[in-house]
Amino acid sequence: MVAEELYKYSDPVNELLARYGVKFGIYKNNVFKEQLFPFDTIPRIIQKTEFEYLERGLKQRVMALNEFIKDIYSDKKIIRDGVVPEEFVYSGSGYLAQCEGVCPPKGIYPHISGIDLVQGKDGSWYILEDNLRIPSGASYPMIARDLCRKSSPATFEKYHIEDNRNYAQLLRRTLDYVNTGGHTVILSPGRYNAAYFEHSYLAEKTGAHLATGNELTVEDDKLYFIDYSGKKERVGAVYRRISDEYLDPMNFNEESVIGIPHIYDIYRKGNVALLNAPGNGVADDKGIYYFVPRMIDYYLNEKAILQNAPTYLPYYEQDMRYVLSNFDKLVLKDVAEAGGYGVVFGSKMTKAEKEDFIALLKKEPRRFIAQNVIDFLDIDIYDNGVITPRKADLRAFVLMADEPLVWKSGLTRFSRDPDSFIVNSSQGGGFKDTWVMADI
Amino acid sequence: MAILSLANSDRLYWLGRYSERVYTTLRFFARQFDSMIDLKTDEYEEFCKQQDIPNIYTSKEDFSHRYCFDEKDPNSIYSNLIRAYDNAIELREEIGSDTLCYVQLAVYEMNKARLSDAPLLQLQKVIDNIAAFWGMADDSIDDENVRGIIKLGKRIERIDLYARMRVSADEIKREIRRLSLRVRRTRLKYSMSGIVHLNYMAENTGIDYPTVVREVESLVDLTEVKSAIGF
Repeated sequence: MVAEELYKYSDPVNELLARYGVKFGIYKNNVFKEQLFPFDTIPRIIQKTEFEYLERGLKQRVMALNEFIKDIYSDKKIIRDGVVPEEFVYSGSGYLAQCEGVCPPKGIYPHISGIDLVQGKDGSWYILEDNLRIPSGASYPMIARDLCRKSSPATFEKYHIEDNRNYAQLLRRTLDYVNTGGHTVILSPGRYNAAYFEHSYLAEKTGAHLATGNELTVEDDKLYFIDYSGKKERVGAVYRRISDEYLDPMNFNEESVIGIPHIYDIYRKGNVALLNAPGNGVADDKGIYYFVPRMIDYYLNEKAILQNAPTYLPYYEQDMRYVLSNFDKLVLKDVAEAGGYGVVFGSKMTKAEKEDFIALLKKEPRRFIAQNVIDFLDIDIYDNGVITPRKADLRAFVLMADEPLVWKSGLTRFSRDPDSFIVNSSQGGGFKDTWVMADI
Repeated sequence: MAILSLANSDRLYWLGRYSERVYTTLRFFARQFDSMIDLKTDEYEEFCKQQDIPNIYTSKEDFSHRYCFDEKDPNSIYSNLIRAYDNAIELREEIGSDTLCYVQLAVYEMNKARLSDAPLLQLQKVIDNIAAFWGMADDSIDDENVRGIIKLGKRIERIDLYARMRVSADEIKREIRRLSLRVRRTRLKYSMSGIVHLNYMAENTGIDYPTVVREVESLVDLTEVKSAIGF
């Protein structure tokens, strides 16, 4: 077994993760709690050739998604040509009318994409979800790798694994590529955000300034960071880790107290880069996901390398019939939800729940998608001294500067509950490092 | 020199103060605890009075536990450690993970001490981690200003506590000398007359404890910039 040496250091490595405060925040009954993110030392291993295949597919997908966002907020050719129905574009919460006609610096919308995949038992990879707004998670395997290398240098000497600790440099390169002149900041809602550890860790490792909204101000069409003596320093790029709606109370949700008034106005004028671009949600809606293979064909004139999980849109009559007659075999997802919420399995509902759900589905067919339950390939975890299989997914990170670049690692999340397919940290999941082998 | 926000300068200052408060009050508490082993009197009453904290304790046992560990008591050492942590956790990019982790470790050790049969032994590890935090801050924080603000907070808190606890004049004089060197190295706005007065007391007239407390408490003022930029 490749990582045998690593098992015995599972406890000390987790202790070191605790020492460095590798946590995520969670609200339970309106009370904020910080929880450790359990790490399993057995890595997910992806062979070089397999990763090259994923890399090609991920780059292709992100390039098509970038074209889609650009098109939707400008010419809307894909709608006019009938490839994507307009109801799916305009009725989704991710579409922002304020973004119409706005082109971000260098025409890049998803600078940092987190694409969730699963591997079926036959070895095929399926895309589960595209996250183009503020995907998180890269910092966890990055710090875990550092500690694992300390725990078992011999393992890393013996196996040639792509070093994933370069994520911060890749991110910095991505941020610098679109910087319009000035400092780079990571804009965080603050320490009570679920991903605050990541915000602060990436700030430390990229050398960017971690800021909250009240430390930044717009004056004379430029963005400034206010230092402690009151001096203003120009900011050229904002890696914002707050949602579109809270970004600017003058342009989006007027009740936002964590945003920066008028930042969107100067972004529109090209005076600051926002990463990721506002409005990306139009492309990572669970309903739009269905159309991504068609987008690849439409914009790139290529066949999609990576397939979606078989998905049905109850919005289409034919798909609705399929969903109703195969209800127990499907997983149903509310397109407006994220983080593992709004996901229900047909087979696990009681008769009454099923009836209620079907009534809702018929009333709001646009709100849900249905997918075949993929029999994920189980991955081993080391649980209290025993190696045992669990469901796991992979979040791959694609960074877009002059060209898309796939980080040679990823966040593997696993379910700690043997009967669950839900791997999200907010639902009690753990994480693994993802090794991409450097040699064939 | 890297740019530093007002909020972070405030956090650095209070990180210095609260970490010192934990360190020094733990050492005072250990001395007090030892003294109370032999004496039946409620010596802790005087301890509270000197620190200017309300005596909410019902016995020396109650004091020993709640003063150290009561998370609902704003004056407990536990509460002060959490305040240090709350500041530190928002300063990762300024102080670095390798420095921040010692505050995190101090919190873990405090939680262990709370459950321990021999809390004083475990509390030594809290003191050790605070000392390691300062050592690491000195060694690994590259930005002199960032380092300087933490140290300034630490020096001010130490003099404040020493004066309240009526520590010997010589020790306070030594700390005043260290403070006056430190305060000039930060870019924070401070009261020049305050530092002159403290030095004058240290060198000439002798230590008047209440005056020392008053002067150090008002030495640094972050409110002026705060109000100017509407913080």
